[in-house]
Order: sequence, then structure tokens, then C-alpha cells
Amino acid sequence: MSWLADILCAALLLGGSALVLVAAIGIVRLPDVLCRSHALAKAMTLGISLMLAGLWIHLGREAAASGLKIVLAVLFQLLTIPVSSHLLSLMAWKNNLPRWRHAPVRDHRSPSARSPGGAGARARPEPQSLGERPA
Amino acid sequence: MPIVIAISFVMLAAAILLALVRLRRGPSVLDRILSFDLISTAVVGMIVLLSVAWHTPVFLEAVLIVSLLGFFTTVAFVFYLSRQRMSETDVPAADKEEGP
Repeated sequence: MSWLADILCAALLLGGSALVLVAAIGIVRLPDVLCRSHALAKAMTLGISLMLAGLWIHLGREAAASGLKIVLAVLFQLLTIPVSSHLLSLMAWKNNLPRWRHAPVRDHRSPSARSPGGAGARARPEPQSLGERPA
Repeated sequence: MPIVIAISFVMLAAAILLALVRLRRGPSVLDRILSFDLISTAVVGMIVLLSVAWHTPVFLEAVLIVSLLGFFTTVAFVFYLSRQRMSETDVPAADKEEGP
């Protein structure tokens, strides 16, 4: 039964790290703070929970007390990641950061990326900087 | 099993690099806080991978501490920014009265 545990642990580790990678791709590609928070929170929660479950399966029966710590870590992630992403989204909502309103995403296929003088002029407005105080 | 750990490590490193791209490019502070959150979670995943590779449960405290550090950093940044904005625009008079 050792090979079964190995296969399950490998699948969980690969799936978890792939989900963290998906969260990173989402945080680079999506156009908005709220969209990025949406991409980050769910994929990251599931990814790190899957990786901790893989560690639990790998440690097995000989380190049974560490399973409690793993459950504690998973519960902590499940508790804190929604709280922090909710705080960030509330911050973005209060500060009226520019939001994506069903505009086409500008990527390598869109014509605005090829001709920066023409249709690329409808760029998104610059967000107000959070750190600087107005004079 | 070492191949699986290497592949997962490469994926987490790629995630950290993409988060660094957003950290460089991000238009507002909130994007940078999000990318920092992702980096701390990827570091937690790397600790998990190392404890799988070395077959030891002693790094679970490190997992708890790093995830706690990421969460409290995010909360501290958000409260700092919200306090700054509130003292600017919303209640400037009350904030001045509270000062020493």
C-alpha cells in the first residue's frame, strides 16, 4: 500500500503547486484589483490545503501527532485568506480604484496592442496612488 | 518522488516570479499587497515540499509561523492605509482633536 500513498501524495503536491501557479498567472493577467483578489484567494486556499494534505499523507502513521498541526495550518489558511482578501477588496472599494467594466482585455490578439497610436489611446485611467498624499 | 518534488518546486518558483512581475508593475499598493500574499503562500508551499523531501514533521511550526506572518502583514498594511486615508479625507477634525 506504500505505492498508493506515494501516488496520492504526488498527485496532491502537483495539484497544489499547479493551483498556486494558476493564482500567480491570474494575478498577472487579470485587469483589476478585485479580479486579482478573486483569482488569488480561491486558488491559493485550495492549493495550499492540497499541499498540506499531501504532506499529511506522506508523513503517514509514524508521525500521527503532526496531523493535528497540519489540520491547524489548513484551518488557519481557510480562516485567514478570506479575511485578508475581504479587507483588500473593501480597501479597493473605498478608494474607488478603477474597475474593469467589460472592456476587452488588451492582449497580444487585440488590435490596440499592435497599433499603440490608434485604438490604444483608450487606455484605462491611471489609478490614484494610495500611498501619496495630495498637496 | 524526487521528480514530483522538483516539478512542484519549479512551479512554485514560477509563481513567485510572476508575483514579482506584478510587484514591479502593480499600479496601486493593493496589487503589491496581493502579490506579497501570494509570495508568502508560495514560501509556505516550499516549506511543505522540503518537509516532504526530508520526511520530517519538524517544519510544521515554520509553516504556521510563515502563514501567520503573511496574514498579519496584510492586515497591518490594510489598517495603515485605511487610517491614512481616513485621517486625510473623512474625519480630519476629529483626528486632529485626538492628537496629543
